[in-house]
Amino acid sequence: MKEIVTIQLGGFANFVGSHFWNFQDELLGLAEDPHADPVYKNKSLDMDVFYRAGETQQGILTYTPRLVSIDYQGSLGSLSSCGSLYNEVQSDSPHVVTWSGSVSRQASEPRTKNLFLQSLYEEQETPSVLGNGIKKKNDDCRSEIEDKDIVESLENSVQFWTDFSKVHYHPRSLYELNGLWVDAQEFDNYGIGRDVFSDGLRGEEMNEQLRFFVEECDHIQGIQVIVDDSGGFSSLASDFLENIADDYTNTPVLLYSARGPGSYMKNTSQKESISRALHDAISFSRLSAFCNLIVPIGLPFLSQSKVSNFLRIEDSKPYHCSAVYAAALHSMSLPFRMEQLGPNEILDVSGVVDFNGVIQMLAGQARQNMVATLDVAMPAPPLTGEQKKQSLQESLHSLTPEVAEDVEDMYAVEHLTIHGALRSGTNRATISEVQDSVYAAAQNSLTLPRFSHLSVAQCPLPIPLPFPSIMGNLVGQHGEILGSPVSGSRRGSLDVHSIPMAARLRSSNAILPFIEKRSVNLHRFGINRGARGSELLRSWGFGKDDLEDMGEGYSKMIKTLDPHSLVSSDSE
Amino acid sequence: MSLRVLNPNAEVLNKSAALHMNINAAKGLQDVLKTNLGPKGTIKMLVGGAGDIKLTKDGNTLLKEMQIQNPTAIMIARTAVAQDDTSGDGTTSTVLFIGELMKQSERYIDEGMHPRVLVDGFDIAKRATLQFLEKFKTPVVMGDEPDKEILKMVARTTVRTKLYEALADQLTDILVNAVLCIRKPNEPIDLFMVEIMHMRHKFDVDTRLVEGLVLDHGSRHPDMKRRAENCYILTCNVSLEYEKSEVNAGFFYSNAEQREAMVAAERRQVDERIKRIIELKNKVCSGDDKNFVVINQKGIDPPSLDLLARAGIIALRRAKRRNMERLVLACGGEAVNSVDDLTPDCLGWAGLVYEHVLGEEKYTFVENVKNPHSCTILIKGPNDHTIAQIKDAVRDGLRAVKNTIEDEAVVLGAGAFEVAARQYLINEVKKTVQGRAQLGVEAFADALLVVPKTLAENSGLDTQDVIIGLTGEHDKGNIVGLSQHTGEPIDPHMEGIFDNYSVKRQIINSGPVISSQLLLVDEVIRAGRNMRKPT
Ligand SMILES: Nc1ncnc2c1ncn2[C@@H]1O[C@H](COP(=O)(O)OP(=O)(O)OP(=O)(O)O)[C@@H](O)[C@H]1O
Ligand SMILES: [Mg+2]
Repeated sequence: MKEIVTIQLGGFANFVGSHFWNFQDELLGLAEDPHADPVYKNKSLDMDVFYRAGETQQGILTYTPRLVSIDYQGSLGSLSSCGSLYNEVQSDSPHVVTWSGSVSRQASEPRTKNLFLQSLYEEQETPSVLGNGIKKKNDDCRSEIEDKDIVESLENSVQFWTDFSKVHYHPRSLYELNGLWVDAQEFDNYGIGRDVFSDGLRGEEMNEQLRFFVEECDHIQGIQVIVDDSGGFSSLASDFLENIADDYTNTPVLLYSARGPGSYMKNTSQKESISRALHDAISFSRLSAFCNLIVPIGLPFLSQSKVSNFLRIEDSKPYHCSAVYAAALHSMSLPFRMEQLGPNEILDVSGVVDFNGVIQMLAGQARQNMVATLDVAMPAPPLTGEQKKQSLQESLHSLTPEVAEDVEDMYAVEHLTIHGALRSGTNRATISEVQDSVYAAAQNSLTLPRFSHLSVAQCPLPIPLPFPSIMGNLVGQHGEILGSPVSGSRRGSLDVHSIPMAARLRSSNAILPFIEKRSVNLHRFGINRGARGSELLRSWGFGKDDLEDMGEGYSKMIKTLDPHSLVSSDSE
Repeated sequence: MSLRVLNPNAEVLNKSAALHMNINAAKGLQDVLKTNLGPKGTIKMLVGGAGDIKLTKDGNTLLKEMQIQNPTAIMIARTAVAQDDTSGDGTTSTVLFIGELMKQSERYIDEGMHPRVLVDGFDIAKRATLQFLEKFKTPVVMGDEPDKEILKMVARTTVRTKLYEALADQLTDILVNAVLCIRKPNEPIDLFMVEIMHMRHKFDVDTRLVEGLVLDHGSRHPDMKRRAENCYILTCNVSLEYEKSEVNAGFFYSNAEQREAMVAAERRQVDERIKRIIELKNKVCSGDDKNFVVINQKGIDPPSLDLLARAGIIALRRAKRRNMERLVLACGGEAVNSVDDLTPDCLGWAGLVYEHVLGEEKYTFVENVKNPHSCTILIKGPNDHTIAQIKDAVRDGLRAVKNTIEDEAVVLGAGAFEVAARQYLINEVKKTVQGRAQLGVEAFADALLVVPKTLAENSGLDTQDVIIGLTGEHDKGNIVGLSQHTGEPIDPHMEGIFDNYSVKRQIINSGPVISSQLLLVDEVIRAGRNMRKPT
């Protein structure tokens, strides 16, 4: 078995992660549930890749994500930073054994648990399964009404990523940054996070959190990192990643640099927009320096993008947007845990590939482009039948911002994962039907990639109870696309139980505009003579040489993708 | 007419409003930290929104747990935390001193005095106080064998401000021995060579010094020994797992055999490295009761563990980077980066290696080493906040011992220095100053008294009485601090109450700098904004 350790850094990254782990938790629960659809039995998906088995000091067995999550102090809402499993019983005012003098108690206002967390908590009181995989749906003892209330309360009240998380975390997974003394709005640029890693013992402590999870891996296949790159977490992450590259030299790192909807708010002043542009340029350059493959995700207006053809998203809610990115990440992560079964077993997965395989495939081929784009079809269209308006490939749309559409690229390389695909109606397609359909479509396509890898699984994306109500009224209970809309404009976890998904990582020149923009801004505001941002960059700790190195890095990236480009350092 | 009058007034008002805001913020922060100070201070129990409990008596930890929003308060907090980063102590005193400088200034400003004049006075007073400190400090001679008694007294003074006496006193020996263990002649002391490890287990008084190293992981093979004596220790940074750096996914190969061949070749490389280690083991351990332990910074995969286990070797993987250095200092030998460098000379030695398991947590003890220059303080406690408490105190204590050795001096505590310096400023310095800057010197001098005053207050004593008693005794020519029990003047030297010289020095240095910025309000506003950007 080859383990994957996940790191989540910063607000939006943790929102995405929270949904991601909810999907895993739901899969675990469904696999154990005798009444669940047999497709979830998942014989060939090895969850141990993402989860660790452990034991509390009291001897209780646990099963928790291999995860290090880093965020502001206070961002855990009503969740204790010790997680919820390994808690010693904490009395309200424990006896202070270390001090014989007086004690003063200062309590911050207790965070009330929302309806969803309350119901989770109650369920735990009647112990059934400890650890993860507690099933949330079809629970006899709970009425539909109550679930409805839960769903509604989540729609209106989610503030922290923990508000909708149904997963038990290991205490070593949760790391809060204290002593920053900046609020989230001010923690908005690369410079402000500059010393956060090296301050005091923080870097050391973060390294230790991670080492705990890596040490127990027999054969780690890679580290999956999600970074909220909209502000100070970028620099914290790049310092952390630099350490990781040192400590785990041969362990591949796959980085999703994610943007929440809030980070695209319009800039009021010119000064701010220069700062923003430089942040983007520096952040991307630094982050890409310490990973093997980087995938920028996060659209300014997800609701208006083609991704949302069948979705109803409120851009202002991180709870909504993060669910879509998490679904795509989940799809991309399936092949990493597929198990090759013996030749006589019924095939419910195909296209096993590990972390390193994907990275080599996308970034290591003739063209060494380490920036990939992520596309998703949510839900994936049926293979045949009336509702098939587009081929699978045509229904994939980008979650990566600032990309070129419909590019022709002879050297494109892609890795496609399809799972839970429907043949027509609500009939699930077999693995080979999916393969045939994809190959057939590829034959007819004009823009054939140079290399394409396909992974297929039968198991769809399960929709857990705390999933937001973001499905449109053309999405059926099994994620099938309906001929005519059902009533109600938004459908959530009570209406839609699973979704067929397709997601794709692609290395192609579609990413050129994204890179070029950063390169141009770096030169214009940072490097060129009289650049208006050079003072600012100095205060972020970057001298002329650093910037020129970064500029060169960008030129190289661009040349890789477009050998004919005249990389101009000055395009005004 | 009215307009013309209004405008400048408004400006003045704004300015003074800003100034008072600064003063209030400084006083506010002082209020929060005041009760922390000294051996009679109050411990704070912070209950978070999710019911998490943090206990702290340390100014530094308390500040970091607070979510401070006021920019002035943030500035002060940053200064205080920086104080802790560089000298390891004195955070609370720094905040109190800044607060008191502002408070004293307020009086004069309210009487119409310009802040600039005060600031000039601060400057003079600061320089004079630093000079006075040079005379006042107690030199400590650090020969080859440092005076253990004085080190213990300094450690005890600090740790007793954080933990109850019996526990503090027990830690004192541990702290001094730990620092002396890692100290090398003519080299700066690297406190990182003291590992601080904790176990949620048993009682605080079970905390102990391990001469050797405790690692927070164990071997990963069921057949490896859990306890071994007379061990050769191989400290290495060699990949003992199947490498993934090369392309290994199936689709890159034209056929399955090609892939298999590739995998087999890679496997052979790893096996070869293991073989070399086993060869060395067989060479040094032939036929007697010796054992062999491999502690590797890189990974070791199950097939490699199997081979090692079969050869009777204990192996640990993914050791902390810093433990490579510590192991070599504790056990001898040298860290090896390639199996080509393997010789018996690289091996270290430990009389005993054993594993301890608590739930899913494993610890490996490497003990009974010959001539250790690295050691571990193993903290035990029944719960996380007890452990955190002790850990903070241990860090403070280690710094105090290190500072003493490096400063080659200590300063009498319990308010003795502050009282003496205050009297010096008032009696000697003030009269040499021209004009109203005198008042700045006076404000500074009185602000110094915040330390003995707060110590008295926290002991439940009348501050007025205590200060009168102390200054009176001082003017008779005695150096006195206050007794935490009675408030009576005592000789800190007799009581063994010593503070670090470098800590005091830094408090005197940084306090007035920040206060001056806050008083000259124009600069404050700018500084406030700057502070949000890292400097
Ligand atoms: N036994 C004692 N009697 C009187 N005063 C003491 C005694 N021990 C220590 N002190 C005084 O207590 C002060 C130190 O208190 P404390 O350690 O709580 O604060 P700090 O060092 O300023 O800040 P922190 O340790 O929180 O960073 C010093 O002025 C010291 O001289
Ligand atoms: Mg102290």
